[in-house]
Amino acid sequence: MRRVGYVLSAAGQGFWRNPVMSLASTFTVTLMLLLFAFFLTTDRGLQAAVGVLESKVEIALFIDDNAKVSEVLALKARIEADPAVSRVDYVTKDQALKRLQDIADRRKDFVLANIDGNPLPASLEVKLSDARQAKRFGDELRAEIGGGVIADVIDNPQVVDQLLTITRVLSVGGLAILAMMLFVALFVIVNTIRIAVHARRDEIEIMQLVGASDAFVRWPFILEGMLVGTLGAVVALSIVFAAAGPVTGAMLDFLVTLPISLGPEFAFQLAASVLGVALLVGAGGATLSVRAHLAK
Amino acid sequence: MIALDDVSKRYPNGTFALRDVDLRIDSGDFIFLVGASGAGKSTLIRLLIREELATTGRVVVDGEDVGRMPRSRVHRLRRKVGVVFQDFKLLPRKTVAENVAFALIVTGHEGRLVREETERALSLVGLTARRDHFPSQLSGGEQQRTALARALVNRPRILIADEPTGNLDPVTSWEIIKLLTRVNDLGTTLVMATHNAEIVNALRRRVVHLDHGMVVRDEREGLYAA
Ligand SMILES: Nc1ncnc2c1ncn2[C@@H]1O[C@H](COP(=O)(O)OP(=O)(O)O)[C@@H](O)[C@H]1O
Ligand SMILES: [Mg+2]
Repeated sequence: MRRVGYVLSAAGQGFWRNPVMSLASTFTVTLMLLLFAFFLTTDRGLQAAVGVLESKVEIALFIDDNAKVSEVLALKARIEADPAVSRVDYVTKDQALKRLQDIADRRKDFVLANIDGNPLPASLEVKLSDARQAKRFGDELRAEIGGGVIADVIDNPQVVDQLLTITRVLSVGGLAILAMMLFVALFVIVNTIRIAVHARRDEIEIMQLVGASDAFVRWPFILEGMLVGTLGAVVALSIVFAAAGPVTGAMLDFLVTLPISLGPEFAFQLAASVLGVALLVGAGGATLSVRAHLAK
Repeated sequence: MIALDDVSKRYPNGTFALRDVDLRIDSGDFIFLVGASGAGKSTLIRLLIREELATTGRVVVDGEDVGRMPRSRVHRLRRKVGVVFQDFKLLPRKTVAENVAFALIVTGHEGRLVREETERALSLVGLTARRDHFPSQLSGGEQQRTALARALVNRPRILIADEPTGNLDPVTSWEIIKLLTRVNDLGTTLVMATHNAEIVNALRRRVVHLDHGMVVRDEREGLYAA
């Protein structure tokens, strides 16, 4: 126990011996983890959205909640007469909600957001026989928006395309920024631990002289690095979960017609990944630092 | 116990600190390493505990080729070899007892063994009454006795002292030397580098004389100067 006690107390002392440096590196790690969490979340959210949209039809006409059924059926007949159309399905509000619920039940990566009533509109789902007609067809119908029957025209392939582009840009840009932040965090931890090692160089010299193993010399510093990482993770996750509500709200606004949010399973994965990255960076940076010292 | 075969040491800056040294030290021996400042005494000691590697030749300590030993085994070598220095190397924020116990704790011992062995080492060097003092509250001789207790607490088979009396007055020096001879009488092999002619001449032990990195004299029951 004394050994464990020694290692733990040495790690804690190391952290508080230079509080400014330790807190600065904790702050850097927090920033890095926040970015990481942000990218992970957006990426997952967009993927989920794409997944839902891709399972839908090509063009959807959202029906005004106040439209009469006879008006909708007349519209349906009119569209079916268009030679570019191969098929039209009428989806009621209840069917729309049920379908989304089914998708949410099948997929693990998101759950249905808590909603009052049914925000989903009834719709006419149109499959075109000629995809090249989609723009002309969409534009014609879009002109009728606000006429009492058609509330909106959703051109799904286009939305999916946009989402995919956002996802791609985010993951490439995100990865680059993340790699940079990771490097900065690692650099800061290496330096924090280097200062800690320097402050205890006499103790280290004596430890080596009396025959302490390298592992024994290393452990307090690695733990100190992991402590910095853990603190950074705790702060970052607190911020993430505190902000989760508002951010989800914003995302729902953005995706208007998709009342989905990332589920508890994702929250757990997120927390585990953030903590894992934090521990790896902390331990990795510290190991690099102590190794460099011991190799001298 | 210790053997150097044709050992040379050249530092990266080009200085030859040891040249073709052959030396055999048996278990239980007491030897003085003498020679002018810069003759290579400390370098020889650093080779024995693998703080430095020989440039050529072979260094064997307790049956192990020190130069070929993987890094992961060096700490085991160091546990077999206790070392004291001219500048004591005590940790200023630890008490006498804590400084001694430190050597046990960082080599993986715990609990009652640490307490018992620490007390044994402290009583061996006569510092039981000073156990809770800090190094700054001790005389030079007491500080060196603390360092000695720390070197002995792991019961090493070999004790190496690099000018242990270099910072001490003659009377205190004799206290330390008496302790070292007692440790040697209890069976520990002892290697001591020194400038102190009076002590060497009084003890009449084996004397190995280094000059510019070469062994120029090796006598049983020798004197400080030929
Ligand atoms: N780390 C080192 N780098 C370069 N030269 C060194 C180093 N240590 C010692 N020397 C040189 O090696 C020679 C022997 O030094 P040392 O072993 O300390 O002698 P002693 O202990 O007998 O005074 C000296 O010339 C010294 O300047
Ligand atoms: Mg010397």
